[in-house]
Amino acid sequence: MSSRLYNWLDARLNLKPVQRTLLDEPIPGGASWIYVFGSVTLFLFVLQAATGMFLALYYAPTPDHAYDSVRFIETDIFLGWVVRGLHHWGASAMVVAIGLHMLQTFLYGAYKAPREVMWMVGVCLFLIVMTFAFTGYLLPWDQTAYWATQIGINMVGTVPLIGDIASRVLRGGEILGALTLSRFFAIHVLFLPAILLTGIAVHLFVLRRVGPAGPWTDDRASLGAETFAPRQVYMDAVVIAGVFLVVAALALSIPLPLTDKANPSDTSFVPVPEWYFLFYYELLKYVHGPLEPLATWVLPLCVILVMLFWPFIDRNPVRNPIRRPVALGSGLLFLLVVFGLLGISIRNLYAVPRADPAVARGKAVYAQLGCVGCHRIHGEGGAVAPDLSTVGDTRPDREWHLKHFRDPQSVSPGSFMPKFPLTDQQLNDLTSYMLSLKRAT
Amino acid sequence: MAGHPEQPDQQPGGGFSTPVGSRRTFFHWVTLAAAGLVGVGLSIPLLSTLMSPAFQRRQRAWVDVGAVDDLPAGHPKQLDHVTTVRDGWLETTSHKAVWAVKQPQGDIRVFSPICTHLGCGYRWDDSENKFLCPCHGSSYDVNGQVLGGPAPRPLDTLPSKVEGGRLLVMYKDFKSGLPTSVEL
Repeated sequence: MSSRLYNWLDARLNLKPVQRTLLDEPIPGGASWIYVFGSVTLFLFVLQAATGMFLALYYAPTPDHAYDSVRFIETDIFLGWVVRGLHHWGASAMVVAIGLHMLQTFLYGAYKAPREVMWMVGVCLFLIVMTFAFTGYLLPWDQTAYWATQIGINMVGTVPLIGDIASRVLRGGEILGALTLSRFFAIHVLFLPAILLTGIAVHLFVLRRVGPAGPWTDDRASLGAETFAPRQVYMDAVVIAGVFLVVAALALSIPLPLTDKANPSDTSFVPVPEWYFLFYYELLKYVHGPLEPLATWVLPLCVILVMLFWPFIDRNPVRNPIRRPVALGSGLLFLLVVFGLLGISIRNLYAVPRADPAVARGKAVYAQLGCVGCHRIHGEGGAVAPDLSTVGDTRPDREWHLKHFRDPQSVSPGSFMPKFPLTDQQLNDLTSYMLSLKRAT
Repeated sequence: MAGHPEQPDQQPGGGFSTPVGSRRTFFHWVTLAAAGLVGVGLSIPLLSTLMSPAFQRRQRAWVDVGAVDDLPAGHPKQLDHVTTVRDGWLETTSHKAVWAVKQPQGDIRVFSPICTHLGCGYRWDDSENKFLCPCHGSSYDVNGQVLGGPAPRPLDTLPSKVEGGRLLVMYKDFKSGLPTSVEL
């Protein structure tokens, strides 16, 4: 049936040459599982586009309705939470796929002549995808979205000369509000897809003009070539299906609760960015004062420029990674820094062990009694009483805490901490929470 | 890549190697299966979100429209029917007006304020003692029965009940133009 339809169309449209161009592209050295990441990235883009279109059926890009409409998708639309989960995890998967795709290209020296243009277009595509991530993050209009975007735009504001005007253009004015949300929405769903599609077309056009790089051997003449279909197509399809299953499993198993609706007057909220921006978030913690612009724009700009012009910086024509120690060493160093910062950041975020339920209950008691009014933990809370961020290290004695909570002045003469009427259970839970507050080990 | 355990089969002509025969069929079917898995796996949630609202019935609530004693027997009275309706993620207040008629025996019938012909709003004409629709001239008697004009069926009756001397009405919409009452 389908072949008869194909023959009928072919007789009229002359499809065979098109099919040959698309599927019989020669791959030097034959198909390989290592070449799948480009196709996986393309698939994930299609996944993002499809899920995004269906989310757009219900999303309303105004501060009045954005939060409610996302909550409506989560709770009132059948399987709406799955589509939102697929879109969320698809974004993460896309960052991973691009990372692996770039790593493979880097290891194989596939960015070298004559493929410099393909690499540079690829770096631009990567930056566009990160812009997608940044603009999409604001759309749910919850506290995390609002404050993370506030910080992101303020960082743009630190760039000299153009920073002020650039941040006002991004926000659509002085404050983050209705105009910011509507332009982020338009950029996310209209501008960026158009730009990205054009970029993908150029990326693939260049690929077809120069051909795939193949293995890194110097003796290219001895390499056979295999057609793209059916074996490379099969490998791409198998990995794509696997990636889809992983993304679907994450979407089905990990709920994505919204935080509270964005509240511009609540300045106490500490936002945490998505994991793929965490390494940068961590870096910013170490740089203060006059050096801050270094981290907010000098370093990122340098990294982007080095990435973009890498084929012209690394002028060594050899592709075999073993004979490119400098390039490989600098790539490795870059990854070590990024993943080191990411690791530190994740460890800090999860510093409070969640295994002991008493700790979580104690944390609730701490919140309920308003301890945060005087005490500070990891930067949150008042500063009139001791900082408790690492009280588990400085006061590891359980008995001391129990005595202290019953009668603060008995172990800490002169303390102005009031006696709270605590039940034994609350006393124990609160103490467990105090002891859990340790320096990250 | 060099060094694959299986070398692709040669195919004469074209210059490149490409698998043939049963290996080619295997790759073909695995590719189709993978595409099918992704296609079906994605279609289910996507189409569900698209169609979900079509299967959701509006929550209907009993609304207090006034005291039973305020209704004159045998004479229609238009009553305000105000309720909060959820429209997607919005909550809006819906204002409708319904016609209530107290029968001499005390039973109350409540009519939808929409003419059964094409959906216009009708009114009670005291001088002619009947409901008149200004659009196409349909008319109904005090019990909602058709007296004249193109109306295909009597006025639609809304569910109503009396609790503690108050009249409660549930608002509904009906398809217009049909000989029988079909709820929307």
